[in-house]
Amino acid sequence: MTPRPGYDPASLIAGIILIALGGLLLLDQADVLELRSEFVLPAVLAAVGGILLACGLAGPPRGRP
Amino acid sequence: MTDTQPTMPQPEQPPRRLTRSTTDRMIGGVAGGLGRHLNIDPLAIRITFVILTFAGGLGLIAYLLCVLFVPVDDPSAPPLKWGLARTVGAGLLVVAALAILIPDWFWGPLVPLLVVAGAVVYLLVRMLREDGGTHAGHVAARIAIGIVLVALAVGGFVAAAAGTALGGGIVVAGLVIACGVGLVGGAFRGGARWLIVPAVVLALPLAAVAATDLDVRGTWGDRTFRPATVAELAGGYEMGVGSLKVDMRDVQLPAGRTDLPLEIGMGEIQVLVQDDVCVTTDADVGVGAVNTGEGDQGGIDVDVSDDRDIAPGVRHLHVIADVGIGHVMIGDRFFDWDGPGRWRDDRFDALEAGTSRAACQGAA
Repeated sequence: MTPRPGYDPASLIAGIILIALGGLLLLDQADVLELRSEFVLPAVLAAVGGILLACGLAGPPRGRP
Repeated sequence: MTDTQPTMPQPEQPPRRLTRSTTDRMIGGVAGGLGRHLNIDPLAIRITFVILTFAGGLGLIAYLLCVLFVPVDDPSAPPLKWGLARTVGAGLLVVAALAILIPDWFWGPLVPLLVVAGAVVYLLVRMLREDGGTHAGHVAARIAIGIVLVALAVGGFVAAAAGTALGGGIVVAGLVIACGVGLVGGAFRGGARWLIVPAVVLALPLAAVAATDLDVRGTWGDRTFRPATVAELAGGYEMGVGSLKVDMRDVQLPAGRTDLPLEIGMGEIQVLVQDDVCVTTDADVGVGAVNTGEGDQGGIDVDVSDDRDIAPGVRHLHVIADVGIGHVMIGDRFFDWDGPGRWRDDRFDALEAGTSRAACQGAA
């Protein structure tokens, strides 16, 4: 049986995805980037999908059966 | 026979003094100390501090003053170990304080809702903490907490969308990043997956508003402008939400191109022109439609650009329209929407196809 890592990979991956997404939207709101809907909406869906995938593959949080 | 026992002299009690608690503290022990001093549950005081922080920063200022001027009850107590919850809580308070410092970020209407939500959550948590409650009571309390949390999520979604559309998108994006940082930090301290929910609740409306370039700052309502001279068109017209109508029939346009910049966050733009005027339109609509004499276009990210050749000496009106959500109509009669079942095709007279094209060639 593979030992579980000493950190929660789902939280780590979700955090990185959210930092990237938030950074992208921050640049758009600060008028540094001009994001269009055909890019933003798939990006958000991909982010949510990535988070769900990470949570599913990582299993329950540590401390839960 | 009476037996009177001499009363023992009681040691004089020192005056009850307000101190910060070193045994019940989340950050500085202020709420714990106040709760002990006033005989109130410190949780209620913490919620009050958070609510007052959103009311113009009062809670944060009061807390910092208490940390500065109220002594601790045990100076020899070890320093506080900062866990994830404390870090996230303090981070959110700092973000809230920064948000308050940004002009145009108005928290006022949210305060009563926060008061009600905070009080309900406090009462429900108290119910769950009590051991004497029945199983049915605990189940009811959990259901109620779930309903309140869903309501808060919906409220957060709407508030994030409204806040972004009102110019606070940078703050909302900062909150999403803060949640991401909390998740990364929490990954090495047992995980903090609960932060995913508020992050997604904030990110979805932020992305939707960013995608449509929705900006509802400005005037709300129905406005009709009737410029009389070309000079009045120089600055264009701008509104936040509503109906922006410009009646151009009284303006004697000079030969050559005259620009008419129009902008609305959410609503409609209508421009009335004479048939013999050459009209071209550059329109950028986040979600909605553009209806001119050259046809209709609708959907998401509608981008209409009209760069046809114009005959020299023609009176040429160039409409530059920027709409977040809504539609742009160029016609020779105003459209009045008067209820369900009345769609623009029923009442709106768009320029006849080709009329403006002929005018642009100098044929009108």
